[in-house]
Amino acid sequence: MTTTEIFTSELPVGERFAIQRTRFEPQKAGSKKIKRISIVSGIHGDELEGQLVIYLLAKWLKENSDKIRGIIDIYPAVNSLGVDTITRGFPLYEVDLNRVFPGGENEFLPGQVVHALSHDVKGSDIAIDIHSSNIFLREIPQIRINKEFSPTTLPLAKELNCDFIWIHDAVTVLEATFSHTMNSLGTNTLVVEMGVGMRLTKEYGTQLLNGILNLMQKEGIIESDEQFENREPFTSEIGDVFYLNAPCSGLFVASIDHCAVIKKGDKIGDIVDPLTGSILAELFAPNKGILFTLREYPVVYEGSLIARIFGENDAEN
Amino acid sequence: MQKIEIFRIDSLSRAPLVVHGYLFKGSNPKAPSIAVVGAMEGNSILPLYCASSLVDFLNNKIDKERIEGDILIIPSINHYALNIGERYWPLDKTNLNMMFPGYGLGETTQRIAQKLFDAISHYNYGISLETRVDQAHCIPHIKLLKSGYEDIESAQKFGFKIIHHKDLESTDTVSLQYNWQLWGAKAYSIVCPSEQQVDTAFSNQILQAMLRFMGKTEIIDYKLFHGYQSNILQKESIEIIKSPRSGIFIPYQKPGHYVSNGQAIGEVVNALEGNVVHKVTAPCDGMITCMFSNSLILENAVAFRIAKIG
Ligand SMILES: [Zn+2]
Repeated sequence: MTTTEIFTSELPVGERFAIQRTRFEPQKAGSKKIKRISIVSGIHGDELEGQLVIYLLAKWLKENSDKIRGIIDIYPAVNSLGVDTITRGFPLYEVDLNRVFPGGENEFLPGQVVHALSHDVKGSDIAIDIHSSNIFLREIPQIRINKEFSPTTLPLAKELNCDFIWIHDAVTVLEATFSHTMNSLGTNTLVVEMGVGMRLTKEYGTQLLNGILNLMQKEGIIESDEQFENREPFTSEIGDVFYLNAPCSGLFVASIDHCAVIKKGDKIGDIVDPLTGSILAELFAPNKGILFTLREYPVVYEGSLIARIFGENDAEN
Repeated sequence: MQKIEIFRIDSLSRAPLVVHGYLFKGSNPKAPSIAVVGAMEGNSILPLYCASSLVDFLNNKIDKERIEGDILIIPSINHYALNIGERYWPLDKTNLNMMFPGYGLGETTQRIAQKLFDAISHYNYGISLETRVDQAHCIPHIKLLKSGYEDIESAQKFGFKIIHHKDLESTDTVSLQYNWQLWGAKAYSIVCPSEQQVDTAFSNQILQAMLRFMGKTEIIDYKLFHGYQSNILQKESIEIIKSPRSGIFIPYQKPGHYVSNGQAIGEVVNALEGNVVHKVTAPCDGMITCMFSNSLILENAVAFRIAKIG
């Protein structure tokens, strides 16, 4: 286990900014080519679920170093300044690091940071970028996949013990993301979204740890007698995602639990006005299915996302 | 002049955000029309001031008959950010200029973009008043995206020193200028210095450039002095000078100044001990177009950009 700084920069007043990576390698170096996996998190500084997953993974690898057959690189806090300061974007610049890839050495500091990351991860067989939604929405453990790369990434996603795989169409603006950049460079990259910003969801942490161990076992990166749990995910191929946005501004009060199986017309919550004690809008499910995204942050404006529901293609939907 | 409501959004505890446009109907139905969008972000002091100065000019300083084409000015889209010193949309910190063409059934900022775009997309010309995204001061200039629909020739009519003919990046495809061009308007961004205090030398220059443009395109019957014959700059024409050290940045020169190869143009000082840790020298002859805007400079940050000459 070795920890290295993949990027450093002196800050103006007596502090050094660094992005760190820890590498786990097999105890005995063999001659045959081994696989490499990179686990990345904290591109958004307000998303912390990846911190827990990577902690659990590092702990497992330390305790099971004899079972390592490949290279495992972990990068828990890409936006390290942001992680320590509840800042989603790159502090000072207020830019979303996941919109400035691939970056470059001659670019502004956030561009240099993402360039250093993609340069370092390049050459990995697999990369996993762990996100935890944002502070506004809570998500069940899910993988997001760009259709363009799905022939190679979908089989890997199915090994990650997640609940849902969402295959989306290519969008030009998303070419500036880590996953698009790495997939284009030949690293099969998966984006995990789970939990909520600024919080840890312990059971999700363990769930994804099992998924990562399962994937690494299948790929020959670890070799263990243990059977790792791998649940069967549902994929967006067999249905549609329905969006529920706030019809007006106010305070959202949910009436259901996250991740509920719901029927069309089920009550999802109210948007209320505390000042007058009135209900401004009652929200109902537009279809039946699984509510996989639920508003966590209660202040909403007209248009704020309240819920996403995945429903299978059938007569009722 | 008509004051028209572009959109309105309620808030849980704040007063509603009501965005207005100021529409000056032209006297000549054959004259082209133009829309001007001011502050989309909270730190856009010059975009706000230049747009509102333009409203004042058309309202109070020119005869109505000399306004030939329709002119719509929307000085601010984002009062909510301006009023509390936020840069982006205050709730989720999203950048409105990355939401175009907008989506009426989507998130709040997508809806705002859609309502704005609906009001302006059919104009012949479009000006988006912007500031730089990164921490940099620049001289006022035109940014024209290489969308395939851009019109360099008409961009010359502003008479700015510089037209930055910018390579298209994926994130540019959700900007106002790009989508405006896609919808058939001749659209330009005027990149304003990002100072938080109004510098009237800059605001005058920008206001004059807009009026010069409207005069030359016969939207208004008003002839200003000629401006510069703009230089068109691509990536290759700009020299990037980075600071290898962090500390307190003391520039000796400013954007707009001409410098010679080898000239000392700034220094970086150790923030705790005060000694000079780096002297910044110009690597070429040229004009400074852009400079790091914060006195605390980061290692490897771009201290200056110089447009090469000679
Ligand atoms: Zn994220």
